[in-house]
Amino acid sequence: MNRMISRLSEQQNLWPWLLLLPLSAYLLVFFAVPLADVVQMSVTEPTLGLQNYEKVLTGSLYRKVFLNTFMTAGIVTLCCLFVGYPLAYLMAHTSRRNAMLILLLITMSFWTSFLVRTYAWMVLLGNNGPVIWLIQAMGFEEKPHLLFTRFSSTLAMVHILAPYMIMNIYSVMQKIDKSLILSAESMGARGASLFRHIYLPLTAPGIANGSVLVFVICLGFYVTPVLLGSPREQMAAGLIGHQIEEFLAFGLGSAMAIVLLGVTLVILGIYHRRFGLDKLWG
Amino acid sequence: MTDPKFNSGLILPNRRRFLQGSAALAAGALAMPYVARADDKVLYINSWGGPWLEAAKANLFDPFTAETGIEIRTVSPVSFAKLAAQVKTGVYEFDVTTLGGGDIVRANEAGIIEDLEAPYEGGLFQNGVASHAFATVMAWRTDTIKETPKSWADFWDVERFPGGRSLQRYAARVLPIALLADGVAMEDLYPLDIERAFAKLDEIKDHIRVWWTAGAQSTQILRDGEIDMIGIWHGRYFEAEDAGAPVAMTWNQAEIDRAYWVVAKDTPNMEAAKLFVEFATSAKPLAGFASQAKYGALNPAANEFIPESAQPRMPTSPANYPLAFEQDMSNWGGDPHEVSARFDEWLAS
Repeated sequence: MNRMISRLSEQQNLWPWLLLLPLSAYLLVFFAVPLADVVQMSVTEPTLGLQNYEKVLTGSLYRKVFLNTFMTAGIVTLCCLFVGYPLAYLMAHTSRRNAMLILLLITMSFWTSFLVRTYAWMVLLGNNGPVIWLIQAMGFEEKPHLLFTRFSSTLAMVHILAPYMIMNIYSVMQKIDKSLILSAESMGARGASLFRHIYLPLTAPGIANGSVLVFVICLGFYVTPVLLGSPREQMAAGLIGHQIEEFLAFGLGSAMAIVLLGVTLVILGIYHRRFGLDKLWG
Repeated sequence: MTDPKFNSGLILPNRRRFLQGSAALAAGALAMPYVARADDKVLYINSWGGPWLEAAKANLFDPFTAETGIEIRTVSPVSFAKLAAQVKTGVYEFDVTTLGGGDIVRANEAGIIEDLEAPYEGGLFQNGVASHAFATVMAWRTDTIKETPKSWADFWDVERFPGGRSLQRYAARVLPIALLADGVAMEDLYPLDIERAFAKLDEIKDHIRVWWTAGAQSTQILRDGEIDMIGIWHGRYFEAEDAGAPVAMTWNQAEIDRAYWVVAKDTPNMEAAKLFVEFATSAKPLAGFASQAKYGALNPAANEFIPESAQPRMPTSPANYPLAFEQDMSNWGGDPHEVSARFDEWLAS
């Protein structure tokens, strides 16, 4: 009897793996194999050895671009947090109807192709666009340069990535037990102190989730910084593309991609040990 | 997996579109090299888009299909990296493409283009068949640049001609322009003084708001007034002018490049590809193509079919050619590849 049960549970335990088979096969063919190819290219092109990695880790251009990539991702994450937190708070504490309305607006923006949103910013911030027009209508003589600057690319990336932050924080805020706030108030906590000691710690998981997602996605951004940014502030993905397109440096480009992937995995690894990756998806 | 029919017919009914994703490498490993032998009645050509494509379709592609029955499909954007990757993976996205003077030397050295024969006398250079000449010219917005600039020295003169600038992100074309701005005469340019060119570029760097990388982009920023002065391909300039933008240009110190048709090494569509290159550089089709897109035809036999009315916009016309200079890749003054790498570091610094 016992043996039968154990065999039965063994069979049941096989099922999830069987169901995973198509996905695993797909990932193997379209992800693992090409990735292995990229790793291979990074140590064999143009000659066998680690010279590509040496160049990426010591060359001034690459260091500069990597530093800039992390800095940009950091700035974008902070901006998303400052924009997203109040909005998520508003959604969590307004009427259900209003919350739905805000959610609808955010998801509409979220579902619009990021290429379209990038071009929309080109029109909005352009030399003859509405923003410049407004600035001039307010009486400023000098036309500021908005497009092709760090400002324009950061703005567009915040716009594109903010929904990830908002959704994560909102989902945590929604689940906060109201009685905790009430009991804190009954103990005399008010205003800033209530927020700092009770509310903020309770929403911290949402902040951590949102920040990791935004930061990691931002690290690999390609189109937006290339189209809207200045050439002095290149990001890693743009440089990888340029290395391959302009110099046919498949090895060097691959090494850069692997370094970027490695750093991303390290960040996710730290996050996993601290919070658990499964939390990322709610 | 080893049955060619299975791969070409059932799994990959449209190999090109299927391969356009990131899946290219994986599919290549799985299906190579049989995928590439699919439809031999279709020739795939790498397209520059815009006015180039319009002229090529009307004068080269459609007449070629009418004559040979071989259908032509275009693939864009033009990518040197893809040309190289194709040969490496054996998966061909296009069979024929055009390259400029700088790239063709590199392509021929790298062995990624097929050996060709000259279809007309003097028509072959580094295994590319000379097709047409195009120019990088100085253009500006007439609404913001009131005085008429005359030379690249004026482009550098941000006091007299204030406003945003743009140049192509392409060292081989930008360096000669910098030297002209520094006072070097057109006939003394080559071999280039690379150090002097970079020193001159330092002066303009802060004023270059966009280093454009695609033809359509250069037209857009000029037309929309994102910049006030630009070094732009002449065809792309006229596109902005014809769209009604307040712009002007000069042929003075225009930089002429030659474009060459090349065939991707070992492409399965070899016969059709070679046939097309011969067709595209023969007198009448080339004359039609050059007349419509305002390129200079490089096969002399084409000239008798080019109407007088097309001349003013052609860089090689008797009136414009003396004002311009030609890129001299055989006496360039350095390894263009190394200079490009240095240019890139310079850009980011």
